[in-house]
Amino acid sequence: MLGYYDPNKDYGTPARLSENHVSLEIDGVEITVPEGTSVMRAAALADINIPKLCASDNLEAYGSCRLCAVQVEGKRGYPASCTTPVEAGMQVTTQNTKLARLRRNVMELYISDHPLDCLTCAANGDCELQDMAGAVGLREVRYGYAGENHLDAEKDESNPYFSFDPSKCIVCSRCVRACEEVQGTFALTIDGRGFDSKVSPSQMEDFMDSECVSCGACVQACPTATLMEKSVVEQGVPDHSVITTCAYCGVGCSFKAEMKGSEVVRMVPYKGGDANHGHSCVKGRFAFGYATHQDRLTTPMIRDSIEEAWREVSWEEAIGFAAERLTATQEKYGRESIGGITSSRCTNEETYLVQKLIRAAFRNNNTDTCARVCHSPTGYGLKTTLGESAGTQTFDSVMKSDAIIVIGANPTDAHPVFASQMRRRMREGASLIVADPRHIDLLDTPHRGDAQHLPLRPGTNVALVNALGHVVVTEGLEDHDFIAERCDTEAYRTWRDFISEERHSPEAVENVTGVSPEAVRQAARTYASVPNGAIYYGLGVTEHSQGSTMVMGIANLAMATGNIGREGVGVNPLRGQNNVQGSCDMGSFPHELPGYQHVADNEARNRFENVWGVPIDDEPGLRIPNMFDAAIEGTFKAMYVQGEDIAQSDPNTQHVEAALTSLDCLIVQDIFLNETAKYAHVLLPGSSFLEKNGTFTNAERRINRVRKVMPPRAGKEDWEITVDLARALGYPMDYQHPSEIMDEIAQLAPTFTGVSYDKLEELGSLQWPCNDEHPQGTPTMHEFDFPIGLGRFAITEYVATEERTNRRFPLLLTTGRILSQYNVGAQTRRTDNQNWHDEDVLDIHPSDAEMRGISDGDWLGITSRSGQTVLRARLSERMQPGVVYTTFHHPGSGANVITTNSSDWATNCPEYKVTAVQVEKVSQPSAWQKRYDDFDRAQREYLDSAREPVAHGVTQ
Amino acid sequence: MSDQRDTLIHMANQIAHNLQSSSDPATGVKNHLEKFWARSMKERIISYLDDADGDFTPIARQAVEQLAEQRRQAS
Repeated sequence: MLGYYDPNKDYGTPARLSENHVSLEIDGVEITVPEGTSVMRAAALADINIPKLCASDNLEAYGSCRLCAVQVEGKRGYPASCTTPVEAGMQVTTQNTKLARLRRNVMELYISDHPLDCLTCAANGDCELQDMAGAVGLREVRYGYAGENHLDAEKDESNPYFSFDPSKCIVCSRCVRACEEVQGTFALTIDGRGFDSKVSPSQMEDFMDSECVSCGACVQACPTATLMEKSVVEQGVPDHSVITTCAYCGVGCSFKAEMKGSEVVRMVPYKGGDANHGHSCVKGRFAFGYATHQDRLTTPMIRDSIEEAWREVSWEEAIGFAAERLTATQEKYGRESIGGITSSRCTNEETYLVQKLIRAAFRNNNTDTCARVCHSPTGYGLKTTLGESAGTQTFDSVMKSDAIIVIGANPTDAHPVFASQMRRRMREGASLIVADPRHIDLLDTPHRGDAQHLPLRPGTNVALVNALGHVVVTEGLEDHDFIAERCDTEAYRTWRDFISEERHSPEAVENVTGVSPEAVRQAARTYASVPNGAIYYGLGVTEHSQGSTMVMGIANLAMATGNIGREGVGVNPLRGQNNVQGSCDMGSFPHELPGYQHVADNEARNRFENVWGVPIDDEPGLRIPNMFDAAIEGTFKAMYVQGEDIAQSDPNTQHVEAALTSLDCLIVQDIFLNETAKYAHVLLPGSSFLEKNGTFTNAERRINRVRKVMPPRAGKEDWEITVDLARALGYPMDYQHPSEIMDEIAQLAPTFTGVSYDKLEELGSLQWPCNDEHPQGTPTMHEFDFPIGLGRFAITEYVATEERTNRRFPLLLTTGRILSQYNVGAQTRRTDNQNWHDEDVLDIHPSDAEMRGISDGDWLGITSRSGQTVLRARLSERMQPGVVYTTFHHPGSGANVITTNSSDWATNCPEYKVTAVQVEKVSQPSAWQKRYDDFDRAQREYLDSAREPVAHGVTQ
Repeated sequence: MSDQRDTLIHMANQIAHNLQSSSDPATGVKNHLEKFWARSMKERIISYLDDADGDFTPIARQAVEQLAEQRRQAS
């Protein structure tokens, strides 16, 4: 049987996974393929390439272009090979005089209504219509071009990233089908009939005004220049490509960076990417221009005080200055007075090196990562219950789920490519249950079938998950065999007694959660009774005072129903940033060495000490919020921050600002002057994901290669800067390439022992654990046992958050993100994604607005116990009354001025999702915003004055 | 009380609230502090035992006392 698959080839129709196989003959070649495969695909697998226009192997066959006609022995006519399934013994002819004439006639009709501007067309050299004209040998168009045509159809240039030129459209419907089948938005349709047929965004609107989410699937699907990237129009067709990994969300899409020289022309999602299978979102595909933005830092800088202008210096001087300050600080204030933070935007290798620098050269464990403020409760909760700090499934697993619970996540905005996959499964009939205070877009999925929304009050997750568990236990919906075989009996019995108590019933907690008991019971029954139930969750679970408890509650639910250890089920944290999983794996947390090995574990620590050649502190170090508290107190005096913007992203901004201004030395390594860098004394210009080698690990534990496609603008990849700093501190690190860093990780982290760059080249990606036991990686975790042996049910007592409403603060604020912007916006704000969201606004329910006399667009003062900021109002029925919502993509918005120091009891993950506030109409910015504007202006001037008067944006 | 002191005692109490239904809450809290808190934080919370009177919840106080005893024996 033919099994070879080349992701760079289009096989015309999707693969079929039948276990039954069929043998047939195509042009005399015998071929065996899975039952259900099209003749077109069978032929392509044998390298017999039948001409086609409307077919693509990421879309179901459509059979409209008629170009792929073939002859089948014993059958009449000329069936379309894309819509004809293979049959045993079938004899197919793909090329003869009759077929050639038929195809030429079809092409002739297409070309009679197509501009003859190939030489100046943006798709020249990359056009399937052009290719097919050549393939069928079209030499003339007998009909002429003077008849009725579409050549004067008006172009739509409204989208910043792609143009729509209907004069070039052949109405093959690939764009429409891509929007439906690949993206699942259904924003495009064919308007009109016959000759009047035309592609229509929504109801004949411009692309920008339509429901289009700019994922670009239609652009990629278009076989002509009708839908075309503007970057290709401007720069020409790319001439080479490099496969790499997206630097945005935790889906970790693979892309072909298509290049001319060292310039990226376009990013094309890679069909061979196991996380995304050739799909992407607006950020990954289009928002890469920040890498060459004029704001990029390209020269190291230093200063003695944050009230001074920056001074451009050599790398050597900057590194020497930083090392000298760090050493002096430790001499004056002690070994534990300094520390460092990495970002989940950093590669695994960078993160590993920074924690190594801190543990080995700083000689303490004051290392943390921004995963502290997003998914640290996942690490605690899953390790406690299931024994490993990671999600259990592949993304593809959802295609076998029968019921999907989404808790505190908004996948269409934050994990768009996975949301498309979820929607695909929902269209196939899977049930959806959403537990969220807001009405999220997933609930509006076209053709979704049944969907339930549990609109709980912010801060009551644990009460809800306990109620779900209560229903499972008291209604006899448990999987007793799974529990008996796979779980700790005593822990289970204790939990069962706890969760059976009437106080956890849906009826008893309704006044807490606000969710009707009937809805809770129905949701529990749905999840527990289907063959495969899966839970996906996001920061709406973790960023609470009981984030860790909620993660354990989710794991309890999955174990109680036996939804662990096979495809279609599982506990799946959706990670916000590209390398949240990796940053945790790499030992960034202050209590754990790489591979989640506690610093107090003598055996593990000794192995690291032997390889690193230094003693390692056996007690945990400070977490990020502890560092801030210690800085304000005066015992923590210097910090190395790589790639993270704590001044914008961490809660209670004024507290963070107080901490940063208390430092004697702040070293920031970043690609921009971010908010944190404005408090820095040393600026080390970093490299974007396009400028370095390394790996990212996505939410499904998949390790993907990041490949350098252009030279670092400041001359160094980030890992090289850390190596330089270590050397200056007297701790030489001897690496020539990140692959050597990965080799060291494999040597020291038991779940990574089989990982190497060679193996990644061979297999494309690897899901850890990858070791002797699982040499090809582990797509599904816990299939036979748990790393702790038996699964451990945890007691999940609901403890109400202290962040409560009262007369002074009667509303609850919850924060989140939107599709077009990413995290603190440092990247996406420097792209045309600004067209969709150029300011953060406050969503408020119309009834709350009416009570306060608020109209759409009014300026609102939002006041919490921490501070005040001012945003514009947007009335929205997505919210439930009493709950308001905003994003934190723009620093001047000050969304985190109002969030508080309230945090998860186990991990100190901030409670971003619950802040009691009051909202009122105001006429001017808040006091903080005025101070911020002044500070921001001064810091930008300090930077500008340091830069030499050269043209910005020129590659150096 | 200082901010740092307020914060640490609040954190210990919060852990105690969340582990109140476990079989041995005080030991659970002690183990949590031992496993996740920095050395300096442990030393400080122990130093507050003498003069924090009613600021600790009973479980948190018991846990910190256990932690103090464990560290005394280890040193």
